[in-house]
Amino acid sequence: MSFPEVIEQSNQVLQALVDAGERVIGYVYPHPPHEILIAHGLKPSLVRTNPSVVGAYEASLQTFSCSLTRNLFSQRVSSSFPLLAGIVFSGNTCDALQNVGDIWRKRFPEDRVLRLTYPVGDFGEASVDFLSMEIEALSNELTGLYGVAFSESNFRTAALLLHEIRDVLQLFYTVRLLYPSLISYNTLSNLVGEFLTAPTQEASERMKGKWEEVVEKLDTNQKNTVEQLRESLLNQDLSDFEAEIDSANHRIAVIGGMVEPSTLAGLMENIPGITHTTLVLDMLSFGFKTVFTPPVSIEGDPFRESARSILGAHSEPTQEGLPKRTAFLKDVLTKLSIHGLIVCEQSFCDPDEFEAPSLEKAAEEVGVATVKLPLDSELSDRARIEGRIQTFLETINAS
Amino acid sequence: MSDEKPYRKLETQALLQQIAFRHGMEAMAASEEGNLAWVSSGFPVEIPVAMNVFPTYPEQSGAIIGATKIGPEVCGFAEDLGYSQELCSYARASIGSTDRPDDVAMGALPKPQAFLGCNNICGTILKWYDANSEQTGAPVFLLDTPPLEAEQKPHHRAYVKQGLERLIEFLGKTFNTTLEEDKFREVADLSSRAIKLWTQSLKACQNKPSPLNCADRFLTMAPVVSSRGMEHCTEFYEVLLAEVEDRVKQSIGAIREEKIRLLWDNIPPWFILRFFNQLAARGVVFPADTYTHAWSGAVEGTDTDSLLDGVVDIYSNVYLNKNLDAKVDKMCQLIKDFDLDGFVMFSVRSCKRYSLGQLVSKEIVTEKTGVPGVVIEGDMVDSRLFNEAQIQTRVDALLEMFV
Ligand code: SF4
Ligand code: SF4
Repeated sequence: MSFPEVIEQSNQVLQALVDAGERVIGYVYPHPPHEILIAHGLKPSLVRTNPSVVGAYEASLQTFSCSLTRNLFSQRVSSSFPLLAGIVFSGNTCDALQNVGDIWRKRFPEDRVLRLTYPVGDFGEASVDFLSMEIEALSNELTGLYGVAFSESNFRTAALLLHEIRDVLQLFYTVRLLYPSLISYNTLSNLVGEFLTAPTQEASERMKGKWEEVVEKLDTNQKNTVEQLRESLLNQDLSDFEAEIDSANHRIAVIGGMVEPSTLAGLMENIPGITHTTLVLDMLSFGFKTVFTPPVSIEGDPFRESARSILGAHSEPTQEGLPKRTAFLKDVLTKLSIHGLIVCEQSFCDPDEFEAPSLEKAAEEVGVATVKLPLDSELSDRARIEGRIQTFLETINAS
Repeated sequence: MSDEKPYRKLETQALLQQIAFRHGMEAMAASEEGNLAWVSSGFPVEIPVAMNVFPTYPEQSGAIIGATKIGPEVCGFAEDLGYSQELCSYARASIGSTDRPDDVAMGALPKPQAFLGCNNICGTILKWYDANSEQTGAPVFLLDTPPLEAEQKPHHRAYVKQGLERLIEFLGKTFNTTLEEDKFREVADLSSRAIKLWTQSLKACQNKPSPLNCADRFLTMAPVVSSRGMEHCTEFYEVLLAEVEDRVKQSIGAIREEKIRLLWDNIPPWFILRFFNQLAARGVVFPADTYTHAWSGAVEGTDTDSLLDGVVDIYSNVYLNKNLDAKVDKMCQLIKDFDLDGFVMFSVRSCKRYSLGQLVSKEIVTEKTGVPGVVIEGDMVDSRLFNEAQIQTRVDALLEMFV
């Protein structure tokens, strides 16, 4: 599915939900407290960029706002957003989102703009305390806005649902890494896309159905290896993971910030030299990092457990922890036999652009070739981007 | 035509050079002794100073690199390492000069033993120090001060205070030092006095003619950024305030003929401070700006715990850590208090935190105050991103409104 098709399909799903009387709440930063939002009767949905909407932001944003925020703003100005009951902006993640949330409130006072402020890093219980209070404040605000109080039983159902969805997506990611011929990156990115559009029971059933097809093709040993790797990825520690990886074909990983797996799948589709097993892993914010988030426990206080889960996810370039991220990247590249790394940089995205040189350096230190891919949400330079990927693949193939 | 310059130079400027020189020497010695920290401008420096850790400021070094017009070259060194030209030019100048200190005539800082960043000015600082840390091997401590929506909530206060406790622990371990209450109180007191004196000098610009112009304030703010909490900093501001008060008493303005009073918003273009002097020739003075007014308040308290509470207050509430409404209110207040005729917003491509929102706040400020404003775009260090002719045209259009 191409990215425009993904958006089209996502809009249809959202429209169907709205028609069925559901309230859809958008989020911009990849780690919203899904379970808490659902506990208020809301359907959380990623507010996606749309490459076909261009340049309607100029009266409110300068050109040096990141391409993601410019694109979202343009969509809102040209009224091309799906019907959202509100949008959750993040606070304290990056300067662009911090300010654009404020600007949005001024320009579109009729929109319900909420803010969830995150701690900049994982400082143990101090961060959990802070984020849980923020989530609780958000929950109170939701009650006030929509008149639907937090429901403990909805929360439990949501925690279970999200656990199931993430669980199965983690398995797909792991199988893609170990046995890439069993699931295409396209399929994986579509399934992740469904999660981002709306984590519904139907989406979960479809994912489980797909998993039945895949798991049939694995023998017991392979199943054990999949489980072992999944655990290691979830725990962000590959030190104990030992397995023979079939690296006869070249294996590429992608890293960067707020890019969707489907964008990449779409970009890769027509590039000569790419086989269906080439792209084995994305480590993107809207893909791998959203999926490899530990489950929310239903035993303790919902706000604290939700905070714990969010803080337990792989850290973002917007957060502190660069040394940990580069160390983990090196492990991924070496232990999972990656031959080449594509480093995505959103145009005018400070977190991406600051982190890219360190990621490239880390890859070079373990002998993995890299290419930097400057992107914008409109993919305005698509031909050049594709050319760059193609040249990169040729270089790797020649080595 | 008279040869007289349209602006008056401050006598205190000579003292400023001495302080800068002294600060540089002390930083060098501290580095050799293993006691130097690079610190962001909004960091609660009273704590490291009280723990005998010497602070030095890469943002100030960025300003020097800008003022000496080597910005594009030094930023280019960082770009050669893969850092995008779209990133903050203070950060690029810092990364570039750390990579090639011998190729930087002025502005390269001695090697630190730690980086102390506080994100009350922006999120960039974290990424920038991470890059510097990779270059030097010195660790980063980040004090997280989540941006304020309105009043600071109790759990924000508690979280920032826990951050301060971690800071004391980090400094203790990294520099083998402790925080003594008496010393902390003494440093906080010196810092507060310096800030109060500085604030009085700023306030004096409400007078007509204004005793200080923009460039005067941008230059004389250096010690309050780099040396607050130290004796010589307080002394400097005593001398500055005396000169300012003398000017006020004698009705001596910063420029010879004050006709139009404007507000400046954002960091200045350091490589072209003559921009303000050229405007001075047309009777334009800037009695206030949001940049130097970002500093206010004093760390007060009787014991370590209450002093830490004071630090939480002051450093969470800096201008850039507040929302758009607060920024608009501040600008409107300055326009009213300083009786200003209009405002110039410098949209700095480097600085998203300061600049994004200006297009909206320009409209609101005009609506609320009735005075016109203009947005000009450029950069503070990287002169490649500054189109002087275009900026001139825009400023001319604003000035025509006052004829
Ligand atoms: S993280 Fe980057 S892409 Fe995402 S909103 Fe911030 S600046 Fe934009
Ligand atoms: S110029 Fe802006 S982005 Fe750069 S360090 Fe200063 S506040 Fe941060």
